Amino acid sequence: MHAYANPTRFLQIAKPLTPWLLGAGLLLVLGGAWAGLAMVPGDYKQGETARILYVHVPSAWLGMGGWTSLAIAGLIQLVWRHPLSGIAARAIAVPGMLFTALCLATGSIWGRPTWGTWWEWDGRMTSMLVLLFLYAGFIALTSGDDGQRQGGSLSRGAAIYALVGAINIPIINRSVVWWNSLHQGPSITLGGSSIDRALLWPLGLTVLGFSLLFGAIVLMRMRRIIADNRVAARLRRLADDEGI
Amino acid sequence: MTGVISGGGQWAFVAAAYGLTVVLTGAVLWTSWRAMKKAEKRSDALRKDRK
Repeated sequence: MHAYANPTRFLQIAKPLTPWLLGAGLLLVLGGAWAGLAMVPGDYKQGETARILYVHVPSAWLGMGGWTSLAIAGLIQLVWRHPLSGIAARAIAVPGMLFTALCLATGSIWGRPTWGTWWEWDGRMTSMLVLLFLYAGFIALTSGDDGQRQGGSLSRGAAIYALVGAINIPIINRSVVWWNSLHQGPSITLGGSSIDRALLWPLGLTVLGFSLLFGAIVLMRMRRIIADNRVAARLRRLADDEGI
Repeated sequence: MTGVISGGGQWAFVAAAYGLTVVLTGAVLWTSWRAMKKAEKRSDALRKDRK
């Protein structure tokens, strides 16, 4: 892992990988969405609204997975001071917040025709809303701070914030088991799925597709931060050479 | 407006969920791509100037 701590080595992999992730992600998402909208039948109970599953579940997975990755990056920054970990954490924050917001919005849109309400202050929805606020707090904490001027590394406070925020992830995951909720219980577990196979396969395509798109967005944002760092470093050197 | 909605009326909710996903994901993809290209162009130009 330390071999790729060098931004130049990282870019040798990231540059060719970005268009591949983008292309494959778009193809899988379009294929999964087409299958989810046109090929599979509606749910016998929920009818057509169950098709929202194919965008709601990937959003939830990436909102939670994004913060888990952000917390791991924060831990690596704290323990090993890996040069790319702070950059990765900064790059994850915006797409993580995007998918958390999409999870809440698509869940709300799904809830209205199914439950008869747009919103309910239950454990699942409230803990997901807390995750959205955690992302907003992290972005506010890391925008324009000293770390951004020092090669993209995170401040100690931001790294600890990322780790403490990770407590919310198992709470979101278990919320439908711990508390009574309008939200259904876990439908996909390590033991299997309660969703019929006829409805399940497009979900695999959209989960994988959106995950690849998430990866592409993170790589693009990391490349932008590295390029900005290089510009800042060169301008500093120029200023030093000219004795400004 | 209360109560569950069934039948053809459900498609409007499905369209809203997919539309919102396309617009927001597309916006973040586009802005990230543009910002990356702009930053790399500036970095490359500065490197060439130094040579």
